[in-house]
Amino acid sequence: MNINLKILVAEISSIVRSGMEVQLKRLSGFRFQLIEIARSELIQETIRTHKPDILIVNPSMIIGFTIQQLKEECGCPAIKCIALLYNLTDRSVLRPFDEKINIYDTNDEIRQKLEQLYAEKIQNTAENDEQQILSAREKEIVVCVVKGMTNRAIADRLFLSTHTVITHRRNIARKLQIHSASGLTVYAIVNKLVELKEIGKQ
Amino acid sequence: MYKKDRYRETDKMSDLICDNYPMVLVMCRFGIKLGFGDKTIGETCRQNNVDVSTFMTVVNFLIEEKNSFIDENVAKSLSVEALIIYLHNAHDYFLNFRLPHLRAKLVGSINDCPGDVAFIITRFFDEYTEEVDKHMRYEEKAVFPYVRGLLEGRKDTRYNISIFQKRHDQIEMKIIELKDLLLKYYPGEGGHSLNSVLFDLFATAQDLFTHNLIEDNLFIPAILVLEQQT
Repeated sequence: MNINLKILVAEISSIVRSGMEVQLKRLSGFRFQLIEIARSELIQETIRTHKPDILIVNPSMIIGFTIQQLKEECGCPAIKCIALLYNLTDRSVLRPFDEKINIYDTNDEIRQKLEQLYAEKIQNTAENDEQQILSAREKEIVVCVVKGMTNRAIADRLFLSTHTVITHRRNIARKLQIHSASGLTVYAIVNKLVELKEIGKQ
Repeated sequence: MYKKDRYRETDKMSDLICDNYPMVLVMCRFGIKLGFGDKTIGETCRQNNVDVSTFMTVVNFLIEEKNSFIDENVAKSLSVEALIIYLHNAHDYFLNFRLPHLRAKLVGSINDCPGDVAFIITRFFDEYTEEVDKHMRYEEKAVFPYVRGLLEGRKDTRYNISIFQKRHDQIEMKIIELKDLLLKYYPGEGGHSLNSVLFDLFATAQDLFTHNLIEDNLFIPAILVLEQQT
């Protein structure tokens, strides 16, 4: 399964920006949503509104604020900041960054760096891929949801707490990538978990 | 796939469309008809009474695939009237053409699967259409009248565009879900007709996504400017 990441590329040169975009789009195993900006003063605001997972930034654009402040003050504490380098840069400038990408990096090198940053997420996704089949309990819950039962009613019927029901529902949505009740209904009918007459016509 | 350079009004309309064929929909939503010969984009717009800079901004915004607010200066240069016509025609296209046609095509292409499955897929589609209808009707009934008021110099103190900004949500997620459900679980044979439906689902999801982008990143900034001026 692809890892979805939202990346903000902050770089003055449109040639370098577009080059970065092309390189990123070539990486398999990832699906990127890219936002590009060319001006330093837009960085904080864009992070606040778009909440990207990664900021790839030319270090010379970090003016008037620090990487630390960026993480703390823009509501994105988990954002990974990657320095985009195409000239010699002082080590102290680079220290706060989570990673560096050099414009001479190959595709494989960029991939490795991203994979390292998201090692845990990749691991989890791989495990999820193996566990996409619903457990017996989860199937029971799908059937209840499809019949239109509330979380409360499902909890009573299956002798669970509503909290557990909610957790199950979240896992089901993640495994199947189906987030709506009507989508689950289609899933349940197609996979013969319920019959049409059990769920009522409307 | 498509050329990504910015277009200028001195470029030919036919070049724009041939380089980026989804732009034919944009053109149509602005009220420009086919048969523009070898005229430039600017000439074609003027002939059809379409604001040239608004047309260029929408076209270039879509081609560059930028997901960010336009600059305030660009927002100031937009014709809000032209944008409303564009958005209204897009709504009309989705609700009165695209979705009904897609429904008919879908129903026709899933008749090889069990009746209950066909029924439930159709119902899913109908519920989705209902959601899109609700989403767009709100814009037609609440947002556009408010903006038209602003254009006439009347400011309705009970409403402002940030209310819309906050409640404006994505509408393409469920159609993507339908596409995934068909891809992963479709129990029938499928075939050319269902593949064609899948193509349409991909295209419609993309079209709805960019439609929302225009509302979020062009329309809303333009109205924010208009609110300051009124």
